[in-house]
Amino acid sequence: MKIKDIASVSKQLGVSRREFLKYCSIVAAGMGLPLGAGEQIAEAVTSAARRPPVIWLSAQECTGCSESLLRATHPTFEHLILDLISLDYHETLSTPSGHQAEAARAASIKANKGEFILVVDGAIPVKDNGIYCMIAGKTALDILKETAKECKAIIAMGSCSSWGGVPSADPNPTGATGVQKILTDAGIKTPVVTIPGCPPNPYNFLSTVLYFVTFKKLPELDDLARPKFAYGRLIHENCERRPHFDAGRFATEFGDENHRKGYCLYKLGCKGPETHANCPSILFGDTGAGTWPVGTGHPCFGCTEKGIGFHKPLFSRASLHMVTPPDTYPHVVEHQGKSALAGIAVAAAAAGAAYVAVDKVAKKLGDDDGKGKK
Amino acid sequence: MSKRIVIDPITRIEGHLRIECEVENGKVSKAWTSGQMWRGIENIVKGRDAREVWLFTQRICGV
Repeated sequence: MKIKDIASVSKQLGVSRREFLKYCSIVAAGMGLPLGAGEQIAEAVTSAARRPPVIWLSAQECTGCSESLLRATHPTFEHLILDLISLDYHETLSTPSGHQAEAARAASIKANKGEFILVVDGAIPVKDNGIYCMIAGKTALDILKETAKECKAIIAMGSCSSWGGVPSADPNPTGATGVQKILTDAGIKTPVVTIPGCPPNPYNFLSTVLYFVTFKKLPELDDLARPKFAYGRLIHENCERRPHFDAGRFATEFGDENHRKGYCLYKLGCKGPETHANCPSILFGDTGAGTWPVGTGHPCFGCTEKGIGFHKPLFSRASLHMVTPPDTYPHVVEHQGKSALAGIAVAAAAAGAAYVAVDKVAKKLGDDDGKGKK
Repeated sequence: MSKRIVIDPITRIEGHLRIECEVENGKVSKAWTSGQMWRGIENIVKGRDAREVWLFTQRICGV
């Protein structure tokens, strides 16, 4: 590896050489790549003749996906996205406005035909010929179709561009549709990767870009075009509250004792058992310190999964695909309360202790089961 | 003699904004702004369980 090149990139990014190599290794590890892939990534990034051109189209979006990438608390990432790729067009980040911005896009498409990466955030409205999203007098639908033919690969960033997301929620007033479906229907065969999430974790996006830059191909994808390294497993599989699920310990109401104890959120409508994402491993939105939704005590609502997020009611129970639901056990909380009563009572009788007092304690336990008096 | 200027898209803001203005003798005499994107979140939340409306309204703007 060319040490000098890494040194110059490190300087450009304002991070130490060690930091930079560590970063590339973490990205490689996150994708489950073999040892040494981090160095390959570092080398590909540093030895590239020029930064890979990226055109970022925004349709029915809230800019949350861009925000996720540009969070100021993540300077390394910010530098990488701005200094290691050539972001030729991005409505929110572009310095020129109006026809100047459009000219930059046209120039980049012309100069990098067949080479640039197209990123799309936001759903594409198709109802009424796509008039619900217009940029420079053209519909987002037309812009997507013409740009998709010219690029090397497309990354659909976020749930909206992956499968419709928020605007596609019932009754889908504007016919909001994901990029992949539009291109398939139009017969455009440019490869698409979807990075669903609302917003997606920035590492899932960056890892995909770096994989593409390093190995000149897309990472392995599932049948919904999601990279398997990030969406290969259900949230339920790696959830930190999974032991509570398996033991039948559930929160049944926000703020009840079991909720305060950190029990499983399945009965509050957690969609972890039917949602594929790596949130338990790298945390939703890369916020750190355990502050992903489940970590803070709120059920996952399934934002990465088509037909779940924004479609299935928030507090409806998830379908369980992999395990027998402990839901079939006797009612969990009552069951525990009664066992405790019987256990304590037997012990008390055997010891000849004050039975009445114990009975009172047991009754109190029963009252705390979330169904009792408040 | 007035001249019409159209600026679309307006960048460095969230969303898709278009501005049209008429310029007379070097001064803007009339101006129009229009949002160029509509998702119908008002219609999406209509009739919905109030407890899950935050999920949608929160995503009007992600900035």
